Amino acid sequence: MKIKIISAAFLLLLLGQASAQNLLFPELEGYKTNKDFPVFTPDNLWDYINGAADAYLTYGFVDLHIAEYKKGKNTIKVEIYKQGDNTNAFGIYSAERSPSFRFMNLGAQGYLSDGVANFYKGSYYVKIRTFSKNEKVLQSMEKLALRIADMLEGTTEMPAAILKFPEIGKKENEEIYINESVLGHKFLNKAFRATYMTGNDEFYVFILENKSNEEAWNSAKAYLESAGTDALESDNGKYVINDGYNGTIFLSWKANNIVIISGLSKDQANIADRYTSEILK
Amino acid sequence: MKSINRRGFIRTGVAGAAGMMAFSPSIASASVTEGDDKIIFRTLGKTGLRIPVISFGVMNSDNPNLCKAAYEKGIKLFDTAHGYQNGNNEILLGNVLKSYPRESFFLSTKVRPDGVDKEGRPSKETTAEGFIEKFNLSLSRLKMDYVDILYVHAVQNTELVEYKPVVNALKKLKKEGKVRFVGMSTHRNEAAVINAAAESDDWDVILTSYNFMQTYSGELTSAIRKASEKGIGFVAMKTLAGGGFFDKEKTKPINTTAALKWALSNPDICTAIPGMTTFDQLDLNVKILSDITLTESEKNSLVVPAAMTGLYCTGCSKCIPACPRNLPVPDLMRAYMYAYGYSNTAKAYSLLGELGTSDDPCNGCDTCKVECTKKFRIKEKITDISRLINVPKDFLS
Repeated sequence: MKIKIISAAFLLLLLGQASAQNLLFPELEGYKTNKDFPVFTPDNLWDYINGAADAYLTYGFVDLHIAEYKKGKNTIKVEIYKQGDNTNAFGIYSAERSPSFRFMNLGAQGYLSDGVANFYKGSYYVKIRTFSKNEKVLQSMEKLALRIADMLEGTTEMPAAILKFPEIGKKENEEIYINESVLGHKFLNKAFRATYMTGNDEFYVFILENKSNEEAWNSAKAYLESAGTDALESDNGKYVINDGYNGTIFLSWKANNIVIISGLSKDQANIADRYTSEILK
Repeated sequence: MKSINRRGFIRTGVAGAAGMMAFSPSIASASVTEGDDKIIFRTLGKTGLRIPVISFGVMNSDNPNLCKAAYEKGIKLFDTAHGYQNGNNEILLGNVLKSYPRESFFLSTKVRPDGVDKEGRPSKETTAEGFIEKFNLSLSRLKMDYVDILYVHAVQNTELVEYKPVVNALKKLKKEGKVRFVGMSTHRNEAAVINAAAESDDWDVILTSYNFMQTYSGELTSAIRKASEKGIGFVAMKTLAGGGFFDKEKTKPINTTAALKWALSNPDICTAIPGMTTFDQLDLNVKILSDITLTESEKNSLVVPAAMTGLYCTGCSKCIPACPRNLPVPDLMRAYMYAYGYSNTAKAYSLLGELGTSDDPCNGCDTCKVECTKKFRIKEKITDISRLINVPKDFLS
């Protein structure tokens, strides 16, 4: 039985290899490149990163190419995740990003941190790491990251929605993209979220860009109904609702855009309104 | 920037369906106290921890309010890992749990030792120092003095079960009071790993994949039984068989309640850690906290319908005239069955060779005109299996 299971898993790997696109890894002076890794696909990503695979799948994971660069005892490992599109690549990149990292011009955005160089560009999310603490190896890793960033196709622009977030009070590099179940509600999807401070209070602003006015209205309506609020169909609206789980929510929409603010109390409506108006102007 | 007063938000929703479920801290604790009588607790092996049967795999959650709601509704064990969201998951969970009394919840995290190879074997890079360093980072992200359970993450090789640097690191952390109990998580080669763990006294808890779809559940259940007798406590994960759907196309969802109850029907399983990202999922799982009885209809819902497994072609041959290319569809379905049903890729390869079809016989046919009496997705299966012909024969078993 065990043999059969191994065979089935192996077949999936082989078929994955046969179907996935070929990615070329650049050379790195003095290092031997080992590309002898299977190409992982949605069917078998679990085999490689276990439970973490779910998050990648949520963001439209397509395939994963791996290479290892070796020089003596030192190894640099490169993982290139292809996600569905630029927004999804940003989604998984931002989910794993911390504002404390040292950010640099790498692809659309990247950072260095303790033997790690991660970045995203176009629909690719690239993770590079070494266990070595040797300065030269770390420099080689950085060089490799830059080469891969040059090599990969795709835009170096951040998703346009991020530029809509007002700057005042915004915490740097904490924007994320949530593909499914925004605020834990299955009827709210595809949102960019930024974190803000007002005094000592932290609050979140979500922007949901829908495909159509109708889609925006349907999402807004579902949220209102969940809070027991009736609303007449309209291309725009502003509500304060009591979400049983998330507390006071400021919900607004205009045309195909929805803005949701959580973390502010009802008596901070002026703050919510200021941000909402700025985004939906 | 214009200043707008609160009148900007002109309409205020009153608490309705969601509002009625709202919990102010006082109301919530009252309802939890009431519910506590009904919540089913089990003992986690020799740790003696009494844990509700449903716990929370925080893994994919980005909403602290979901974790708070889970706690308020009676879930007490929260599971994360060093690697989830590159550490952001531990930060989120730590920020939530710091507002509750430390003794009122259980916290588990997982650390994957560095340098473990593709087969799960440790290497020179797998050191006690590296493991401890990663764990200490986890602890600081969690803002805790200790975790209740620290798992070695993703153990699939018995060599790692016995690997002294990691075992000694765990003992050291336990002695320092940073970890109450130690364990491992496993979702490949589980039975062998569990059997190896049962041979030593080093392990308190095992987090294992365990679900009704596993073809080797008999072997796994026996291993769990044997290790339980030695006092190892068991936590179940992947109870939904990984994806939560019967089919690859994600059109046939698994009855999540039934799947969780199935795992908990084994009394050796103390608790399960389903991942949750919505309040609807939470509400559904909370019901199981006080009712783990697997009803007949729930049992039936877990029987994989033949049309979904869809591997056995009856050979009725009604498809052949419908295929504009006169492809030997029943034979191709047989090749598919050899590969995916019997895991006999060599036989599938050999049959494809005999048939002489190309590596993409449906190429150019936008819409498949074949209507299978068993509702097989003919084009998809043919496209899938035909690629096998490009794989070097030496690779096949």
